[in-house]
Amino acid sequence: MSSSLDEEASISIPSLAFVAVLGYFIYRYFLSGPRSRTDGSQTSSSRNTGLRFTPAQVDQIAQMFPQLNRRDIMWDLHRNRGSVQATTERVLMGRGLDPAPPSFQPPVSFLTTSSEPTSPPSTTSAKPVTPDLITRYNLQSKVNSKGKEKEEDSPPPGWTSNKDARQKMLQRRREEMILAARRKLQEKDAVGAAPPLT
Amino acid sequence: MTSNVASKRLFQEYKSLLTNPPEGISAGPVNEDDLFIWEALIQGPEGTPYEGGIFPAELRFPKDYPLNPPKMKFLGEIWHPNVYTNGEVCISILHPPGDDPNHYESASERWSPIQSVEKILISVMSMLAEPNDESPANVEAAKMWRDRRLEFEKKVREGVRRSLGL
Repeated sequence: MSSSLDEEASISIPSLAFVAVLGYFIYRYFLSGPRSRTDGSQTSSSRNTGLRFTPAQVDQIAQMFPQLNRRDIMWDLHRNRGSVQATTERVLMGRGLDPAPPSFQPPVSFLTTSSEPTSPPSTTSAKPVTPDLITRYNLQSKVNSKGKEKEEDSPPPGWTSNKDARQKMLQRRREEMILAARRKLQEKDAVGAAPPLT
Repeated sequence: MTSNVASKRLFQEYKSLLTNPPEGISAGPVNEDDLFIWEALIQGPEGTPYEGGIFPAELRFPKDYPLNPPKMKFLGEIWHPNVYTNGEVCISILHPPGDDPNHYESASERWSPIQSVEKILISVMSMLAEPNDESPANVEAAKMWRDRRLEFEKKVREGVRRSLGL
């Protein structure tokens, strides 16, 4: 009896050690794998270092479960190596998603891409005939950073003998007109939506 | 020879529009290498359903400008009795002075060399505020404007929002 107990104990210690070593290698493999790859080609892929999912996958889950936080979705996808199915099952089982740690920093583009294209699929049916002004004049970046935009005032009217400067001035004025109109409408929306404070 | 005159005149108009732009209007050649194609932005007049909107339009000038008027075409969607569904604008100031098939426009309303791009754009702005349903370019829009004003205004406002990506 005692010998068999000893045997069991002697087996479990090396097997534990084996599991630990194996675990270490698996850990190393997952962590260092993508890193060594990006070291090789640092140019474009380095911005997405270590990310194991695509924005499309995030969009897919965000569409199924709009109540979920995008960051949490990305964190879960990141940990299960981009398995949409695993994340979906997890949510459906009622386990919910772990909150993403603050150190988890997905690229900003991942956070913003879907929130706009996903919400108005109904209006896109009428849209393709004419692109909106934001698309037409390539103002997407300026729309998103509207805080900065406010600092710049519209260029003063004037005339320069430099052809390029003139063209630029006209372009700036156009952009400013469009952005100002958009801001105004958004402000109006905000006023209309907020209940009057009394 | 004539196109030289036209270029000079267009350049002068461009200069004065850039130096002293009218409220709610910006206009100039798409590319200064070709002064005969312009792009303009017109702000929707206040107190109208077009308020808050920005409407881009293209102006194409003939080689004998200013003897003949340019053609003007809205580039985005705009629902208006005097704008064809393809965006082409139909107002008297854009009609050549000679012929008036409908005989209701007085000569002073129509194009003449003493008019200008600025006057066209201002006329178009007031056209937005006050549609003329006597000679509708967009019959559907004219009917709606006459008979179902609320629906008309709603449609215009929705277009404005869409055009600003909201």
